Amino acid sequence: MALTSCSLLRLQPGFTGSIQRIEGMNPILRRRLADLGVSEGVMIRLKGKGPFMGPITLECNGQLFAIRRKEAAMIEVKVS
Amino acid sequence: MSSIALVGNPNTGKTSLFNTLTSSYEYVGNWAGVTVEKKIGSLKNGAGKLIDLPGIYSLHPLSRDEGVAAQYLIEETPEALINIVDASQLERNLLLTLQLLEYGKPTILGLNMTDVAKARGIQVNPDILKERLGVPVLPLIARTGKGTSQVLSVLEQPSHIPPITFQLNYGDIAEEAITSIVAQLQKTSGLPNLRWVALQLLEQNPVILELLKKRMDISSLLLIADAAQTRLQQEKLALTLPQWIRSVRMDYIRMVCADAIDSTLQKPHNLTERLDSILTHRFLGLPLFIVFMYAMFKTTFDWIGGPLSDLLDGFIGGPLSDWTNSLLGAIGASEFTHALIVDGLIGGVGGVLVFVPQIFILFLMISFLEDSGYMARVCLLMDSTMERMGLNGKAFIPFIIGFGCNVPAIMAARSIEQPKDRMLTTLLMPLMSCSARLPVYLLFAAVFFPAQQATAVLSMYVLGVVFALILCKFFSKYLFKNETSIFIIELPPYRMPQFKTLSRSTWEKGKGFLRKAGTIILAGSVLIWLMSYAGPGGLNVDMDHSFLAKFGGFIAPLLQPLGFGTWQAGSTLVPGFLAKEVVVSTMNIIYHAPDAAGLEGQIASVFTPLSSISFMAFILLYIPCLATVGVIKKETASWKWTFFSMGYSLALAYSVSLVIYQGGRLLGWS
Repeated sequence: MALTSCSLLRLQPGFTGSIQRIEGMNPILRRRLADLGVSEGVMIRLKGKGPFMGPITLECNGQLFAIRRKEAAMIEVKVS
Repeated sequence: MSSIALVGNPNTGKTSLFNTLTSSYEYVGNWAGVTVEKKIGSLKNGAGKLIDLPGIYSLHPLSRDEGVAAQYLIEETPEALINIVDASQLERNLLLTLQLLEYGKPTILGLNMTDVAKARGIQVNPDILKERLGVPVLPLIARTGKGTSQVLSVLEQPSHIPPITFQLNYGDIAEEAITSIVAQLQKTSGLPNLRWVALQLLEQNPVILELLKKRMDISSLLLIADAAQTRLQQEKLALTLPQWIRSVRMDYIRMVCADAIDSTLQKPHNLTERLDSILTHRFLGLPLFIVFMYAMFKTTFDWIGGPLSDLLDGFIGGPLSDWTNSLLGAIGASEFTHALIVDGLIGGVGGVLVFVPQIFILFLMISFLEDSGYMARVCLLMDSTMERMGLNGKAFIPFIIGFGCNVPAIMAARSIEQPKDRMLTTLLMPLMSCSARLPVYLLFAAVFFPAQQATAVLSMYVLGVVFALILCKFFSKYLFKNETSIFIIELPPYRMPQFKTLSRSTWEKGKGFLRKAGTIILAGSVLIWLMSYAGPGGLNVDMDHSFLAKFGGFIAPLLQPLGFGTWQAGSTLVPGFLAKEVVVSTMNIIYHAPDAAGLEGQIASVFTPLSSISFMAFILLYIPCLATVGVIKKETASWKWTFFSMGYSLALAYSVSLVIYQGGRLLGWS
């Protein structure tokens, strides 16, 4: 199957992608993500989407965390 | 006495370790301008003091907590560090470890949660870690205390911890910059490890930049950093210097982890997965949370807390007062002393102390929710709703606590990282009807709206929430217009909280309330009692001629347009500022009412239905009680914001009551 890039938000819950690019994000949030080990080349899994367009839950390096959808939209992932 | 600092990422078990390593326990608050605390305890073996710093991801501060830790390392010189890392999250944790090793103080690496890691199929080899990092590595299970005796025995002689030999090579360009910066720093005294300072400067750590600015002219240092960054860009190694430093560290960490960790058998968190599939379910999550909240409030106010408060109330009003009376009689105290102690002290402070059981139970349950890992999920569930109001999901819990008592609620706002969101939460908290305002609503609703009591009381709660929503939008738009709100929350695995940790954190939270009862409320009660006891005519005057009546009469004309321009109503507002709990009891004194029925009769003849609504709205909205004002001052560390919160609430109360009363009259109500 061909590799396709898309926004992290387009992943189905339970699916994994590798991070291609993170662009346009609030620098504080960007640093915090980096502290959690979320950066280019890392595998990230979408665990679930919160109610009422709320934050989405992600898993990266065995760590669960949540960020808002508009910020998750700035993370581009590659799914195989 | 030596001091040893405990440093590590959030949720790695620092507090558990702290609790098992220390016996006596104290906490130091109020660092200049910072409200987040470090905790200090004495080591069990008497070897010195242990300092528990807030959990941090790196020394480059983003939140206030991280600022505290960075500032601590710069301004104070601990003899040694204990860096606690989560064995199941080693790769991320080691980033901070490298920064700490560069700091150069003797360090012990506490490899915690080895049981969790093992259960998840992750095997960490402490010997390889020790060899690569050059520091003692002690495997631990801090929750059960396993391995802590080894930590204690190493700490017995902090001077015996081997010095740091670790040094990372950042490549020619960065190393040249470090060397020339270190050469310049040598002229300045009183700095920690110079290589560390140089690296933190290259990483643009604002705390280090501030510190250096105070000691020297840093422009030449910044030039060196800029030049190095330009060279990195030219050689296409990295876009910025901080990025380069981070990537060098990450490369090293990956190498260490590849050798030290065997994760071939890794399994997912099963319990957390299963619980999360229910507790953060898109449709079930919120209703379940509401059920938990309901149970929490029922427990606090009805099932356990209420009866305990009644017992305490009975004790203070009955045996305690009787004993005091007979004791005072026996020692022949003067009439003044007698009245002061019984009416002023026991009446005033006792009236507030009865809330202690409820407050401690509420705190116990909140600590349980925090420690179990559920609180983080609640913030996640509520974020979308809170974001629409201009706030952050993390502000939701403080608001819920605010219905119990505003004081702990404002303290709970500490968990919010962003200063803007924290400030908004603090400023709006007084609009949540705390339990002390409930008796006022109940009294007036019983007199004027006997048929719709519940609706009348509930609408007061709703009124407060509605104004909080409106003002939240308004303040975030006009007072903090340039500040964006971000939301990121780590979801720790669920775990069963330990009793020891729970009891300690409950005590720590509740202690503040007790201290306030002992100081502010104590002083205030005496003052109010004195004002009612004394008047221009002397002591023990008739209430109508007391200073309290004079003062009430002085502000009464101002309250005339609101519908309750009597000195009695005016006077209740003063002790109401002290503590809203005492509004009703002050009315009891002022209206010479022997019991509830008598007071209701008096109220019915003085107030009208319309003026009672106006009065209730005023009690709800006007200046938060003194304890709340005190905690606002403490948490914001700013008189400006403290006065702002008092001012806006007073203005809001006045205008809302005015609109209610005058508008109602225009509509022909009475």
